[in-house]
Amino acid sequence: MKSLATKFFRIRELPVFLALVIVVLITGSANPEFFTLSGFQDVTLGVAVVATLAVAQTLVIVMKHIDLSVGSTIGFSAYLIGDASSKGHGFWYCMGLALALGLAVGAANGFMVAYLKLPSLVVTLGTLYIVRGIFNEVAGGNTITEDMVPGPINFIGLNTFFGIPYLFLVAFILMLIVGFIMKRIRSARDLYAIGSNLLAAELGGIPVARRVFLAFLATGAVSGLAGAVLLARFNTAAANSGNGLELSVVAACVVGGVAIAGGTGSVYGAVIGAVLLQAITMALGALGVPQFWQLAVNGTLLIAAISLDRYLSTRVKPTSIMGAK
Amino acid sequence: MKKKYAFGWDQGVTAFLAITIVVGSFVSEYFANVDNLSFVIQDIAEIAIIALAMTYLIIAGEIDLSVASILSLTSATIGFLFRNGTSFELAIVGGLVVGLLCGLLNGYLVTVIGLPSLAVTIGTLALFRGLCYALLGNEPVNELPENWIVLGYENIPGTFLPWSTIPLAILAAIAWIVLHYTRIGRWTFAIGINPEAAKFSGIPVARMKLGLFAMTGLMSGVAGVVYTLRFASASPDGAVGYELSVIAAVLFGGVAIAGGIGTLWGVLAAVLSLGAIRSVLQLIDFSANALLVVSGALLLISVVLPRAIEIFQSRRKSAFVTKI
Repeated sequence: MKSLATKFFRIRELPVFLALVIVVLITGSANPEFFTLSGFQDVTLGVAVVATLAVAQTLVIVMKHIDLSVGSTIGFSAYLIGDASSKGHGFWYCMGLALALGLAVGAANGFMVAYLKLPSLVVTLGTLYIVRGIFNEVAGGNTITEDMVPGPINFIGLNTFFGIPYLFLVAFILMLIVGFIMKRIRSARDLYAIGSNLLAAELGGIPVARRVFLAFLATGAVSGLAGAVLLARFNTAAANSGNGLELSVVAACVVGGVAIAGGTGSVYGAVIGAVLLQAITMALGALGVPQFWQLAVNGTLLIAAISLDRYLSTRVKPTSIMGAK
Repeated sequence: MKKKYAFGWDQGVTAFLAITIVVGSFVSEYFANVDNLSFVIQDIAEIAIIALAMTYLIIAGEIDLSVASILSLTSATIGFLFRNGTSFELAIVGGLVVGLLCGLLNGYLVTVIGLPSLAVTIGTLALFRGLCYALLGNEPVNELPENWIVLGYENIPGTFLPWSTIPLAILAAIAWIVLHYTRIGRWTFAIGINPEAAKFSGIPVARMKLGLFAMTGLMSGVAGVVYTLRFASASPDGAVGYELSVIAAVLFGGVAIAGGIGTLWGVLAAVLSLGAIRSVLQLIDFSANALLVVSGALLLISVVLPRAIEIFQSRRKSAFVTKI
């Protein structure tokens, strides 16, 4: 029987959470403004989009797959919501459109990866281009402006619930729901089995193809709906919306302990990873580090995080681009 | 090793390139124009040069997403050194050294620390791009020496080929010979097919991979020099997103993402095809967005088609194991 303390130190999210606490403490002591309500709101508001997508991405990464198409999907969906709203359609119609787009992209990715057994990196790189191309064609030079954003989306982007931005609450609640499902629901637990040993999962009777398909479908659906979060955050959308977000999302997952080699990690870790990256960006600003160095520090941090993770779990020996076989 | 599919994928891509050129010359009288061909080559030079090295890396079962950032960091280094009084020739050497060092850092993290290259190079993608901004701030360096930047826009005297053809052709020839006719090339394939077996048969796997990453860094550096001369400017935000174009071209060229399969000619034909298609689409006034869709579709076809042939040929239950 493991003692409670041992269990506590085994928590995978602990290192990244401690890192977050340290960053916040250092920054806060150097610049007390970081501890104020507005400092808190800056971080939580800034992280909402990446955190939402990181929750969805976790489903895919634990299976040792990857979905690069999320940046294109979320951008397109944000544009569609604004566009439909400006043409007089209601809020739910807009959200239905966003969901439909997400499901379509997710189903295409899922079908090719699960049933045709194609490598997800290639498939989702392909759909990244295709969705972005169609998006740019549809959007042209148009920009969604603030007055075209549906009322409810505008509201959650600008308001707070007892000091907590609604946008962050959306990401947080999504995290709790998906976290619960991945902990308690058997079919979601299967995703971990698929990621740690595909052959064993298949031989153990897990319907691998169906699980992989549904996970991609879910990731697509969340990315589609997250268009509302992106739109609420920036109150604008244009042909370049969401461009390059996929790499920030994967970075957040990896920093949060969702190993690219599959089989480990949780949505809590992914969200903490996203918050840590955002907090560091803000912290560097608060500490007076020139803005130009921030990206470099973020990159270094990501490398440090995966090195640390590698050090803490030396049982895996990476051999391919996604890590250990 | 070379022939995995019913027909050679590289032959398929070559046929595709030929069809694109023929169709291109039919739909637009300007396509086969020498000025346009010169422009097409100029347009693909950087991606082609990086793709040469990326081919090796993916065949060996690794990947490098930081290439566009290395390209830009090389360019930024050249600009930075030149702005601070170094001669332009020395600045170029400095830029290439930085490219090589970037590649070595990636290789070190992957082979010595043992980190997955996909995650590492997302990190270095941000790191190297960040260093570009750290070096140059927001101000691009535009006053480059005239005798150098003519190389970026003029053709080789007496021909329609841009100057960037020379490094591209030489490097492509070397890369082709080394990959298909030397021990290093065979080792690269062996590592991609089974790193464990390669290690036990005496191949220095770690040293090879380190070398391949370093080479990819250096090639990205060369592409950075070409890029700087072509745009006559060194800016911190150049070539954003090129890494995906390079990888798309390599995969469309028939290199398997799981490693172990691919030909250099296939990749070159793929890069040329994408350049030709872009040019045709521009000439018939198609929007640039169509190119994105076409790139994505070709990428998907390059994995779906071999798979379909495989399923069609052998109706046995498909293999369990799929990588990423």
